[in-house]
Amino acid sequence: MSTGFFTDTTLCIGCKACEVACKQWNELPSDGYEFTGNSYDNTSQLSGTTWRHVAFVEQMHVEETTIDDRWLMMSDVCKHCTHAGCMEACPTGAIIRNEFDSVFVQPDICNGCGYCVVSCPFGVIDLVNVFNAEASGAYGLATLNDQRLDDKQTAVQATGGVAGKCTLCYDRQTLGMTPACAKACPTESIQFGNLEELRERANARVESLAKRGIEASLYGAGDVGGGIGALNAFFLLTDRPEAYNLPVEPVLPSTRQPAGYTAAALTAAGLAIAGWMIFRNA
Amino acid sequence: MPGLGTSFGRGGATVWVPDLAHADCILIEGSNFAEAHPVAFRFVMQAKERGATIIHVDPRFTRTSAMADVYAPIRSGTDIVFLGGIINHVLANESYFKEYVAAYTNAAHLVREDFVDTEDLHGLFSGWDEEKNGYDVATWDFERDEHGAVVNDPTLQHPRCVLNVMRGHFARYTPEMVEDVCGTPRASFLKIAELLAKNSGRERTTAFAYAVGWTQHTAGVQFIRTAAILQLLLGNIGRPGGGIMALRGHANIQGATDIATLYDLLPGYLAMPSALRNEQTLEQYLKSTTKPSGWWANTPKYVVSLLKAFYGDAATKDNDFCYDYLPQLTGDHSTLPTTMAMKDGNVKGYFVIGQNPGASSQNGELTRSAMERLDWLVNIDFYDNETVSFWKREGADPSKIATEVFFLPAATVVEKEGTMVQTSRLLQWHDKAIDPARDSHSDLWYFYDLGKRLKALYAGSNDPKDRPILDMTWEYDHDDPHERAKGEPSALRVLREINGFYTATGEQVKAFTDLADDGSTAAGGWIFTGVCPDEHTNHARSRSGDDSTSLNWGWAWPANRRTLYNRASADPDGKPWSERKKYVWWDEEKREWTGYDVPDFPKTKAPATPAIPGGKGLDAHSGADPFIMNVDGKGQLFVSGALKDGPLPAHYEPLQSVVRNPLYEQQSNPMLRQWDRPDNAYNKAVDAAYPYVLTTYRVTEMSGIMTRYVPWLAELQPAAFCEINPELAVEKGIKNGGWVTISTALGEMEARALVSGRLRPLRIAKGQRVHQIGIPYNYGSQVAFARGDSVGDLIALSMDPNVSIHESKSLTCNIRAGRRAPRHSGVVDADVPSSERTTMGQSSALGPEDLRDPAALTHHARANDGKDASHGMRQMGQGDRPSPEKGA
Amino acid sequence: MHNVATPDEAFAGASGRDSLPATPTYFERPMLKAPHWEWNVITYLFLGGVMGGLGVLATIARDDRDDERRLRRSARYASFALAAINPLILISHLGRPERFLHMLRIVKFKSPMSLGVWGLILFSGAAGANVARELADAGVLPRWTRHFAPSITTPLQAALGAFVAGYTGVLLSATAIPLWGAGKTHIPAASVCSGFAGACALASLLATIEGNHAVTRKLERLEIVAGGAELAILLDFKRAAGSYGAPMFEGARGEKLRTHTLLAGIVAPMALNLIGSAIRLPKPLDAVRTTAASILTLFGGYVLRETLIEAGKASAADPRAAFRQPR
Ligand SMILES: Nc1nc2c(c(=O)[nH]1)N[C@H]1C(S)=C(S)[C@@H](COP(=O)(O)OP(=O)(O)OC[C@H]3O[C@@H](n4cnc5c(=O)[nH]c(N)nc54)[C@H](O)[C@@H]3O)O[C@H]1N2
Ligand SMILES: Nc1nc2c(c(=O)[nH]1)N[C@H]1C(S)=C(S)[C@@H](COP(=O)(O)OP(=O)(O)OC[C@H]3O[C@@H](n4cnc5c(=O)[nH]c(N)nc54)[C@H](O)[C@@H]3O)O[C@H]1N2
Ligand code: SF4
Ligand code: SF4
Ligand code: SF4
Ligand code: SF4
Ligand code: SF4
Ligand SMILES: [Mo]
Repeated sequence: MSTGFFTDTTLCIGCKACEVACKQWNELPSDGYEFTGNSYDNTSQLSGTTWRHVAFVEQMHVEETTIDDRWLMMSDVCKHCTHAGCMEACPTGAIIRNEFDSVFVQPDICNGCGYCVVSCPFGVIDLVNVFNAEASGAYGLATLNDQRLDDKQTAVQATGGVAGKCTLCYDRQTLGMTPACAKACPTESIQFGNLEELRERANARVESLAKRGIEASLYGAGDVGGGIGALNAFFLLTDRPEAYNLPVEPVLPSTRQPAGYTAAALTAAGLAIAGWMIFRNA
Repeated sequence: MPGLGTSFGRGGATVWVPDLAHADCILIEGSNFAEAHPVAFRFVMQAKERGATIIHVDPRFTRTSAMADVYAPIRSGTDIVFLGGIINHVLANESYFKEYVAAYTNAAHLVREDFVDTEDLHGLFSGWDEEKNGYDVATWDFERDEHGAVVNDPTLQHPRCVLNVMRGHFARYTPEMVEDVCGTPRASFLKIAELLAKNSGRERTTAFAYAVGWTQHTAGVQFIRTAAILQLLLGNIGRPGGGIMALRGHANIQGATDIATLYDLLPGYLAMPSALRNEQTLEQYLKSTTKPSGWWANTPKYVVSLLKAFYGDAATKDNDFCYDYLPQLTGDHSTLPTTMAMKDGNVKGYFVIGQNPGASSQNGELTRSAMERLDWLVNIDFYDNETVSFWKREGADPSKIATEVFFLPAATVVEKEGTMVQTSRLLQWHDKAIDPARDSHSDLWYFYDLGKRLKALYAGSNDPKDRPILDMTWEYDHDDPHERAKGEPSALRVLREINGFYTATGEQVKAFTDLADDGSTAAGGWIFTGVCPDEHTNHARSRSGDDSTSLNWGWAWPANRRTLYNRASADPDGKPWSERKKYVWWDEEKREWTGYDVPDFPKTKAPATPAIPGGKGLDAHSGADPFIMNVDGKGQLFVSGALKDGPLPAHYEPLQSVVRNPLYEQQSNPMLRQWDRPDNAYNKAVDAAYPYVLTTYRVTEMSGIMTRYVPWLAELQPAAFCEINPELAVEKGIKNGGWVTISTALGEMEARALVSGRLRPLRIAKGQRVHQIGIPYNYGSQVAFARGDSVGDLIALSMDPNVSIHESKSLTCNIRAGRRAPRHSGVVDADVPSSERTTMGQSSALGPEDLRDPAALTHHARANDGKDASHGMRQMGQGDRPSPEKGA
Repeated sequence: MHNVATPDEAFAGASGRDSLPATPTYFERPMLKAPHWEWNVITYLFLGGVMGGLGVLATIARDDRDDERRLRRSARYASFALAAINPLILISHLGRPERFLHMLRIVKFKSPMSLGVWGLILFSGAAGANVARELADAGVLPRWTRHFAPSITTPLQAALGAFVAGYTGVLLSATAIPLWGAGKTHIPAASVCSGFAGACALASLLATIEGNHAVTRKLERLEIVAGGAELAILLDFKRAAGSYGAPMFEGARGEKLRTHTLLAGIVAPMALNLIGSAIRLPKPLDAVRTTAASILTLFGGYVLRETLIEAGKASAADPRAAFRQPR
């Protein structure tokens, strides 16, 4: 069965429960403690150790007397692309498509080459630092206060140095459980389930919102173009994708390979012939 | 509680959270619902999805505003004007729910002839005594006939009937006034007024939701009163999708209030005996606390059952059921006055359990330096926090601090069993998942163990003063051998004692209607009777929900009722007001009340039952009087006497305000309490040195020290910050993300700037532009992952007169770019003349009299001799909280 | 649609910008992830090109000419040496170096990294065989070992060499980094050119040391062709990339590319090489000239890779480029 997420941003209250639930379930460390000043977003992006990230978009009209301000919130996640750049790029075969049709990184196979990182058109997957409690500060202080963490190896400790991203809670799914983020979401902004069903629901949602005068569009429920196909984690948006830091025209990187190899081969042949001629004519 | 309590009869939220999903309109004001109660907010979202209109009125555009259909900005502290404006609108347009108002409220009562309204006294009500600096509330009453019965005018024509008195009182609260005072654009205000009127009546209901955005003010109780009046006028109380949702804070804050961690209450909202009211004997006490009519006529049954639960066999009819073992109030022992007394060296010891006043209290430096004056401090917690480490704070000199500090490790919620009562008055049991780490224990263990040690200490004593400890029932050993071995008491046993039992057989009591005043029953908290109705049942464990009222999910007090006053969901004849809003109704065939909820009414009392004049208890009410706790069975639009600052709400400016009160000459609440002294300096009203409004609140990501230590939460909001609008930022040269210093007369704090259009500058009267600055209160200096100065350090202590709640929402301040100067040694020795020093139980204004007894308000005394200090300590030891929730 | 009405001034501090750009992005946050690649990957790409080019040279050179015979020998030794070092450099960049062998679990045609590793390994095999043959010829190894290096390994090393030089370009261009994607033909082609030029430079350096002056002339001529082609390709890349090319061709990095790679690394050695073929310089001076030209070419080749990687990082950080990715 293909499962995935329909993240409906009109229902998101920006509580970040999804972000925290994901970190807790997957035992991921914090990414540092930087105050950004970017609305309420201090984690800024998805990373090797932040697999859900809530974006905050303030659209305020300070001067006007009529009030139609908007504060858009969206919980971003790996898209589990039909044609996944990360998976195609991976030289070790660490990234596979599992029985739920999600794109899954096998941490015991990955060697941390980082090639998937530059091959994801959505900027999702990233490398995880080799775990260092003192340097990261993640569990350092907590350990001081609570020895229960002492002898407990976190997932990150075991898998540092490799690529990390949302697993679509593969472990939970195999037990028939809902992914942690969807489970934690209080408003059903994150809906998990069978993709067919989710897509139907999403289409119906766009229509019902339209009836209420809310313009919304789906991102990734169908083909996003660029050879990527549909996204198994798709979104309902009420603004341009760029407003949420999503690409309007993503491209599957491997589509550029034929041109690249051809150019290289022709150039090499040309130079080899030139060399051959130079050597013979001398 | 008194805001709701005086209006409807009980202090609790009138509805339960999931019922919000049935509302046609929800007004959220005084709460940042989505951020502070995100899980409960799902029901607001459900309502929205079903077509309800969501309205948010707040100084800031928050995550709640983002979800609302209509957002209106408001200047902090002006909600009485906003809501008063709607009351005026509803009355002027005759758009209130007439049948409901006529039948279920005291609109027809005639107010005494000598009552004079604020209109004619420049903002004061009649009875003001300049000398006493307080009110004589005698005139705030109804006209009574020779039998003492209230005189009514059912035609609502009499100029002195409550409805018409209200018309006059609120006439000044016009849309123009709202715009001038609140800064809310007129169009937004009118739109909201119309939405409320449109979504109320027979076919539709509107719910209100508030939290500490309304309570933490010097007139907080009156904010809530205004809402109560409006909801009564709109006919929304007791009906599905209606009501007033008072959102409680901490997980068990409702339960803590119910079971009386407040100094002036015994479990179940029974009054604490008071030396100020001559309650030396049980008889005197019962006389002063029992009401002739209404539910509180049953007070003796609950008091005697409580004493039986406390003292078991030792409590007999002959010895007044050990009534004299109970401590008696000698003054205001609430947190703020006690903190002042501590600062002035009059408190010796301090138990702090589950609270972190070092970071979350107002006037943090005063609070922390007060601890330097203690002999000892006991803190039970699982984190090193600003309280237990007060002696390490910036600027302190540990070598000069003699306080002995005991830090005891607490078990976390998953390491212990028990119940919590959440915001809907719902008891939910939680099991223990793992043993507490190392030396930690449940809080229950600490108290159980302490009790056992005290009993052992006094064992064999014949001294009468030791009897209370020796006679105290104290048998809560766990049934599970594993727990018993660890000394952990059984929370279930405690709960079963709270539920109550027959003293002869030990059998559980099934309902509080079975409790008696002869010693045959014992119950530790009568409102909870029914949660464990027999030996094998614990309804707090119930976990089956349904699409309706989910009566089998948890257990709500009282009697598992979800929506209070639900008799009002039917018309006076007992028929639903409309099919759409059907909830509880009279079944003519079975001759009983029935419906989706447990009826909040005597089950077989027919709608046509006449009231018996002079009748005892509920006999004094007719079959159409839904507010059974109130003396007259009606919702109180005009509250006679019970509140200290007025029978009707009137707008006063906050103590520290940027403007003069545009409504009345009276600038701020005449009854508010303050301590004007060097270590508690206030910003003057309309002080050019402090030109900006300051408000404080919490953010979803943080909840004080517990979250600051959690990396996953700390990374989400890693530093104390200050929300400021771009216009002001530019004017002050403040850069987004950079440092700012915010100052008041009390001190300075630094924070990171979050420049955002969400804090809209307001235009008020005469085009004056008001900037509001917002700071989350969740931070503190303790070394943790997230940290920063605590905003409480900027806020001088002042209190609301009714519930002693601090002001932390409407303040003034100044701001500049850059960081603050380092702090130097605390103000512990700041010279406060000994005559101005506070002792235990002293307050600067009025005493702590029982709020339900107007008569008691007229006489009060100050008690400030040293003897009482130790007496007050006992009460504090019960885990006295700052009781912010009291405001509801 | 909605625009953020917030005075720019207040925001200048946080992001270090002076004003908000016309179309708001998400707080100017990058949309893509930048490569984690540092000096080791840069070196790997650079040496891979040189190594591959040497493989081709070793094939073009004929056995029946002494100068070319010596070239073949040194090219074989040098490329083999690089084939031995380069995997170590590659491994050093892995987050989990001990798992290098996981690369060999599969062959994945969609993954330039996978193909490249296999190419590298096969290249090493061919290079090893050819070196073994040289050693056998030199009498270091017993003569019978020559049978292990059939004559096919010579052209094979050329083919694999061309692949290895070219794939490093495809490796970059077949990613989501907008700059690299915009150079989907230019980067592979330029990588091949740079690899060939570098190989010629290294070979002429070795020939100069050996005193094999006859072959340096030939190599220099080939280097001129490769350099010229590279220059043309890079200039066309700049044109074709348009705004995607900014991180590479504009600002300080563009300046460095111009001075270090284009001028110092291509034009200058080209000029020196042209001088060499036009006028006969005295021997010592000529050796200096050749050496200088070679070093400059190699330097230019390294800086090209470095610029590509660093500009790639900058390109990843530009959300506007990432919103509409080059096809
Ligand atoms: N994540 C999280 N959740 C919490 C807590 C926490 O610390 N963290 N604390 C819990 C506790 S203890 C409590 S009491 C509740 C409190 O719950 P809330 O009262 O909802 O929380 P506050 O953030 O104090 O919200 C008050 C809101 O009132 C606004 N406000 C300030 N002054 C005024 C005013 O004069 N009028 C009006 N209309 N609005 C005003 C503020 O801008 C703010 O948005 O939250 C509980 N939930
Ligand atoms: N300026 C300003 N000040 C405010 C407010 C505001 O809005 N503005 N809000 C006020 C409000 S509403 C409140 S409720 C207070 C909150 O103020 P506090 O209650 O002081 O704040 P918390 O940080 O929640 O402190 C709870 C403490 O209890 C500990 N704890 C948690 N669980 C347990 C347990 O099971 N057992 C024991 N023994 N300890 C436990 C935690 O570790 C923590 O130290 O702050 C008030 N202060
Ligand atoms: S979004 Fe990126 S990381 Fe996720 S499957 Fe697609 S390509 Fe891979
Ligand atoms: S980092 Fe790991 S998952 Fe990513 S491409 Fe390399 S081996 Fe594959
Ligand atoms: S599905 Fe699981 S791994 Fe993925 S974001 Fe949600 S919680 Fe994290
Ligand atoms: S948990 Fe749900 S509502 Fe909360 S931020 Fe995540 S998606 Fe939004
Ligand atoms: S922390 Fe607990 S009480 Fe607060 S919203 Fe979350 S679940 Fe509800
Ligand atoms: Mo609270």
